[in-house]
Amino acid sequence: MVKKTQTKPKVAIFDFTDCEGCEVVLISLRNKLLELAGEVEIVNWRLVQKRADEGPYDVVLIEGTPVTRREIDALKYLREKTKFLIGLGSCATLGGIPGIIDKETRSLWYKKIYGEEYKPRGIDALPLVAYVKVDYLIHGCPVEKKEVVRVMEEVLAGRFPKGRGYSVCFECKIAGNRCRLLDKKVCLGPITQGGCGAICVSGGSPCYGCFGLRDSPQIDNLLTTLYKFSDSEEVERYFSMFLKKTPEYAKLFKKSKKKNAKE
Amino acid sequence: MQKSEFITQIEGHGSLNVNWDKNKVTLEVHEGERLFEGMVVGRQAEELYWITPRICGVCPIAHNLAAIKAVEDALDLKPSYSTILLRKLLLDAQMIQSHVLHLYFLAAPDYLGLDSGLEIIKTHPVYFQQALELKRVSDLITDTIGGRGIHPTTTAAGGFHKVPSKEKLKKLKNETEKLLEASLGCVSLFSSFDYPKIKTDLILFSQINGNSYEVYDGKKIASNKGLTEAISNYKKVITEEVRSYSTAKFGKHEGKGMMVGALARLSLQGGLLKRETQQFIEKTEVNFQNPFHNNLAQAIETYHFVHEANKILEELIKTGIDPKATDLPKEYKPERISCGIGALEAPRGGLYYEIEVDSDGLIVHCNIITPTVQNLTSMEESAQALLEQTDGQDRKKRSELLEMLVRAYDPCITCSVH
Repeated sequence: MVKKTQTKPKVAIFDFTDCEGCEVVLISLRNKLLELAGEVEIVNWRLVQKRADEGPYDVVLIEGTPVTRREIDALKYLREKTKFLIGLGSCATLGGIPGIIDKETRSLWYKKIYGEEYKPRGIDALPLVAYVKVDYLIHGCPVEKKEVVRVMEEVLAGRFPKGRGYSVCFECKIAGNRCRLLDKKVCLGPITQGGCGAICVSGGSPCYGCFGLRDSPQIDNLLTTLYKFSDSEEVERYFSMFLKKTPEYAKLFKKSKKKNAKE
Repeated sequence: MQKSEFITQIEGHGSLNVNWDKNKVTLEVHEGERLFEGMVVGRQAEELYWITPRICGVCPIAHNLAAIKAVEDALDLKPSYSTILLRKLLLDAQMIQSHVLHLYFLAAPDYLGLDSGLEIIKTHPVYFQQALELKRVSDLITDTIGGRGIHPTTTAAGGFHKVPSKEKLKKLKNETEKLLEASLGCVSLFSSFDYPKIKTDLILFSQINGNSYEVYDGKKIASNKGLTEAISNYKKVITEEVRSYSTAKFGKHEGKGMMVGALARLSLQGGLLKRETQQFIEKTEVNFQNPFHNNLAQAIETYHFVHEANKILEELIKTGIDPKATDLPKEYKPERISCGIGALEAPRGGLYYEIEVDSDGLIVHCNIITPTVQNLTSMEESAQALLEQTDGQDRKKRSELLEMLVRAYDPCITCSVH
């Protein structure tokens, strides 16, 4: 939320550990990006400009998960300097794909991939909310263009943006897709917040829930349906794609031994 | 990290650490480790190409296709002719997307004296509109064929979940034709710049097949020093070194730096381009020993890939997409534990995937070597050469030149730390 003033709001974009795909989505907005950029002052965006103001900022978008100590410290610093902090994309909002790796199994993989001598930087791949208060989450892997524009326009107009009140199923129906559940294929669409346009199911891929859980998701109801044709191992595989660092995942699949620790 | 302690306008977090008194420079990589090679172990083979495009949002299609090729190799799946054409089209569009992003938004400001790529609209409106067109239509191709450009949804081992209709292909062709002029403008803009000159001894590598300018289906790895090696021996060609100051490994060939990417491809495969495209190499006097000319090479490649994309679309419209393209296997399980290698030329150079899949279809081992890993040693060596060759000049200027040099390699730090 930004109060209307004479001067243009100062916006900054930062990225932690991630693929930078959500920033590429911003660039893919092309003319719309230029339009949005015209309404604000982009004072820090390492990917595309040299100007790098230290704050304070009106709006900050953060992409990626803070994996290293310096990223975690930077996040806390940015929180202090920022009026409205937005998480951009599933790595920032959920822990996302990097979150598939558990904290406990990291050391094993460091040794296998980098060798015994290596001093790792990464601690754990967690969402931003594990460390600071975040004002709004733009979910998605990657984020959806229309959602970014909608949220940014709301924020710049001084309103508090709201999440979609419906699940992916709503948009999946509009897109004309046959329901995956009818074909006995696992799908997290029913419990996932809409806004993506059901793009993955439309392409023939599963919904792994990268838009985060919808309000009152009724996970139990979905599980009852899924267990009619699937088993907990397969269902967990779906939940562990983007949602592994969510409290719901911990509640559902708490186990003494993590799958990744095998090998 | 709020201050520009990292090199700006590159993908990911890297910095140059210069000791001005000793004239010594190191390239430090700070990106957090995500451990993809561990992440995929214990997961289904078909999840590989869902997960690993997330290594890089700039070249996700390259990762997706290399992963798919590795799974197909392990499971002995043979994609149909149309499938290969569609993938080649996807990869062409990926090259255009990636090159254009780097050329106009990240590199051009250096040569035009601007702070940000977004300012080019004011100084060079015609060229900038062309950049936006190249971006728009290459995005349209990857969205139409891949379901989504960044992290595709339609692609799979063995073929596609879904393919576009003939009408969609025709519409796509109409749009792609518009890029012919824009890609010419790209060559014209990037050949007008005065590139800094440095002397280096670059050892260039590219995957080749010897018949055409190939990025999807190379059979061998070749170098400008006369090496040719089967792709399956990629680990003989590329060795990786762990350094204390970097979360990315440094790739080497026989103890020395190696360069991959557009400049290397033009050097090793340029003779197989159309006459018209070859003439650009001559006219613009591409210097294969000047890493700054990688930008020029990317512009010439953009022209080539635009033409190739048009050609493929023409063929797909003419012959139609064979039904085998969407005839996918019921399950992805090899009869016994099997290895697979998938390699292709990503925008920044050779990309290698190697996996082992057990009879339950679960991945038990994965190794990935990205182009930027291969380029890091060369980048550092060239930075050192630049530092030595500009000795005595203004420090601020040298600093800027060093950053420009790193940028010219178009490093993808996120790829390098995967």
